[in-house]
Amino acid sequence: MKNLQKLPLYLLFVGLFAFASCESEDPVIENEGEVITDVTLAFTELDESGNPVGSAFEFTAADPEGIEVGGAPTIETVELEAGKTYRMEIEVFNSIENEDITEEILEEADEHQFYFLGSAFVGGASAPLSYTYDDASGELIGLRGTVTVSASPGLNNAQMRVVLRHDLDKSFPGADNPNFENFVQAGGESDLDITFPLILN
Amino acid sequence: MKLQGARLILVLLLIISGFEALSQDCKLVIRGKVIHLENNQTIPGAYIWIEEVKAGAVTDDSGNFIFRNLCPGDYTIKIQFLGHKDIIEEVTLTNSSFNKTFRMEELPTELGGVEVHGHRDAIQTTTAVNALYGSELLEARGENLGESLKRIAGVTTFSTGNTIAKPVIHGLHSNRIMILNNGIRLEGQQWGAEHAPEIDPFLAEEISVIKGAETVRFGPEAMGGVIMVNPGELPTEKKNKTDLYLVGGTNGRMGNLSLSHTGGSEKVKGLGYRVQGSVKRAGNVRSPEYFQGNTGMSEINFSGATGYSNSKLGTELYYSYFNTELGILRDAHTGNLSDLEEIIANGRPFTNPDFTHTINNPKQVVQHHLAKLKTHYHLNSKWKANLQYGFQLNQRQEYDRRRGDLNERASLDLELFTNTLDLFVDHTHENALSGTWGINIIQQANSNVPGTGVTPLIPNYDMLNAGLYLIEKYSKGPLELEGGLRYDYRMISTARFIGSELQESDLQYNNFTAFFGTYYQITPQLAFRSNLGSAWRPPNVNELFSQGLHHGAAAVEIGDADLDSEKSLKWVNSLEFEGNKSTGELTFYANQIRDYIYLNPTGETFVSLRGTFNVYEYLQANAFFWGVDFSGSYELTSKLQAYAKGSIIRARNTETDEFFPFIPSDRMDWGLSYQLATGTKTHHFNLSNMLVARQKREPVFDLAPAPPAYALFNVGYRYELPFQGNRLNIGLQVQNLFNTEFKEYMNRFRYFTADMGRNLLIKINYQF
Repeated sequence: MKNLQKLPLYLLFVGLFAFASCESEDPVIENEGEVITDVTLAFTELDESGNPVGSAFEFTAADPEGIEVGGAPTIETVELEAGKTYRMEIEVFNSIENEDITEEILEEADEHQFYFLGSAFVGGASAPLSYTYDDASGELIGLRGTVTVSASPGLNNAQMRVVLRHDLDKSFPGADNPNFENFVQAGGESDLDITFPLILN
Repeated sequence: MKLQGARLILVLLLIISGFEALSQDCKLVIRGKVIHLENNQTIPGAYIWIEEVKAGAVTDDSGNFIFRNLCPGDYTIKIQFLGHKDIIEEVTLTNSSFNKTFRMEELPTELGGVEVHGHRDAIQTTTAVNALYGSELLEARGENLGESLKRIAGVTTFSTGNTIAKPVIHGLHSNRIMILNNGIRLEGQQWGAEHAPEIDPFLAEEISVIKGAETVRFGPEAMGGVIMVNPGELPTEKKNKTDLYLVGGTNGRMGNLSLSHTGGSEKVKGLGYRVQGSVKRAGNVRSPEYFQGNTGMSEINFSGATGYSNSKLGTELYYSYFNTELGILRDAHTGNLSDLEEIIANGRPFTNPDFTHTINNPKQVVQHHLAKLKTHYHLNSKWKANLQYGFQLNQRQEYDRRRGDLNERASLDLELFTNTLDLFVDHTHENALSGTWGINIIQQANSNVPGTGVTPLIPNYDMLNAGLYLIEKYSKGPLELEGGLRYDYRMISTARFIGSELQESDLQYNNFTAFFGTYYQITPQLAFRSNLGSAWRPPNVNELFSQGLHHGAAAVEIGDADLDSEKSLKWVNSLEFEGNKSTGELTFYANQIRDYIYLNPTGETFVSLRGTFNVYEYLQANAFFWGVDFSGSYELTSKLQAYAKGSIIRARNTETDEFFPFIPSDRMDWGLSYQLATGTKTHHFNLSNMLVARQKREPVFDLAPAPPAYALFNVGYRYELPFQGNRLNIGLQVQNLFNTEFKEYMNRFRYFTADMGRNLLIKINYQF
């Protein structure tokens, strides 16, 4: 029992040792792996038989700080011509990590889908633009599609809202419509929700 | 509600026999309380004999005894209890009654036939202590800690879905209350609203709640109250006990198994051990109309303890491990404000998943290790020195739905080490004084584990807290007075990168706290307690330094490094009554908090490519909380009992005269229980009705209005029988009997889904 009576002393030493040896790690710079900083809409005019005419022109939305507290994004105004048809390709990029997110979306095509909303696409006959999915794989993603501008649009400026949904149920009734206003009902969450101003010339 | 401490079961065990009512003068009373000199634990069953009147009495569960109708004169009181030195006291009664607390000294163990008792110290407090134990705890088995504690009036939960529940005492939760796992303050990431306490209720034999401010005793943060999760005492002699619990529930197809074994050594007297483990698995929770997607959970827990005690020395080594994986309702994880608004408008999840036990992202994976070494040494019969050391490691990983390989990586990955050291001395004297003087050191190191691909929500930090305290208690018969003082100093140093810029800060806080409490046994049936205590809480690291998006909640939260400590003054009064047929308890409290820290919506929004987010900031304001808890029961017949309990809380920001969010609404639970005993078997039936009012005192800003009032019915049946010389309990419970669709204001997921529907539970307990 003599040894046991010294136990408090031993414990004190163990305790002091544990106290001294326990410190937090130095912080490490954490690169935002998932943030989207640049979204580019690339338009190429198509002729009546669907062949490209001329070179592509781009409109970009950028937010170099990503999603953290900081400046608001800068969004360019999209300018298109009435009566024309365009191929629209979307490129998504993370400039912080220098990573092409378009690739990742393609890899997880079954979990991602773009929807095109706002007064540019929604509003029945008065909506100046109409969109059809035209992705290379045939799956409805929206990374590539065809935009047709009405020949005599009722509006000459409108809002083009581009929403990227992640983890949605693609077979939900109505989810195959690129202008599906109730996209939330298909589940999932928004990875992108950008409204580009649109001017029709 | 049963009460510990001065438990109100003040039934006179032996009424003075052969004593006739005498003349006018013979109305004097001798009253007393018998406790262990060593640890202030009450001694039930001690025998008291008064020679002059040839009358005897036995102390009740609270150690109290009483002799009535005594004439003035000299009396000799003799108190006997096995293994303790007899107390003989001469008393002269003139015209007033006599009261005293008697402290019995243990006899040395060399004497044959003396039992060495365990060393779980009684908590010395004059504040109301409510405890869950015995059959009430048996009925709560299978529930998490928060849910179990709802059985105590004044305790509610702040929950996130049906698997994450944080206990709320008198409107305060998270870092404003304290949870002790076998005496060690549980240090997890309690700041988060969706961070449940990392503890397995199966390790407890008793769960107690102290409703007063107990900063002096336990250190900063114990402002609203303290929850003590206590395992049973370790045996000190050869004795084996095994407890098996099997719980199954239909909602979520939940299965829960727990096994514990305690034993004492035959060879070494005073050596005992306990091992305990539990596993739990549940799948998607079902609301009345639909399944809640991804709400499964799994838990694996283990604890072990070994202890040795002799008359001088006691040592205990304890380890507990908690491991959980919790699914978070998929639909509650929103990408931006418009997602959030859409689902709130919808009032229920958009998805209609099937049942599954599979847990996907978003989810939490949490592990908690806790080791404790406690030893005490009796310097002499009056002084005891104690040392308690605790080590804790908390690992928390939170996973979100992410693209590509990131989906496999946690987006929040924290590792928190905590060392706690307590050195204190207890003294008790035959005269009426006892007390504790001590020092307490808490050291903490929090690190973000790199590789999450997300800027950490909180910085890495080191914290050191040193406290010095003194508590003294004076007892005289039915009166106990207690007071204490404490000084704390806390140092925090933090470091993190914002972009590529290193941001460091060093902060210091210090504070004095004090309390004064009293307990008075007015009559054998009626007792009064009052406690006035100050408390403080330094701001938490998340309150100081949060900056950025709270993933999934569509909120940007901004901390403030200049926040001051919260300081509170809480006054709790309770009246406890125990009659032959009825019991009752009424608690009234008021809590004034200066510089109460809260998350305030700024009304601004933050726009990004991902969409819009609400911006919240941490602010401070003076707050005033007050409320009433009540509980009571009445025996209608010897078999039928009615009971009721409930609570009312009012909380106000006294600067802006507005209400705070997430304050529990008024509620009560009432019901009937019926017992039918046939021989050695007993049938228990129970019917209860829970009424919860709508929270009409809403803050100016909330994402959705408070849900309507609701009423739930629960029924229970328990069959208790001896089985091959052992004890078997078979229970059947139906919660939410009518499958009522409801939303609880205190559940953060009320925005997204209805609460849990009907649940049929079977609970089997076998003791052998």
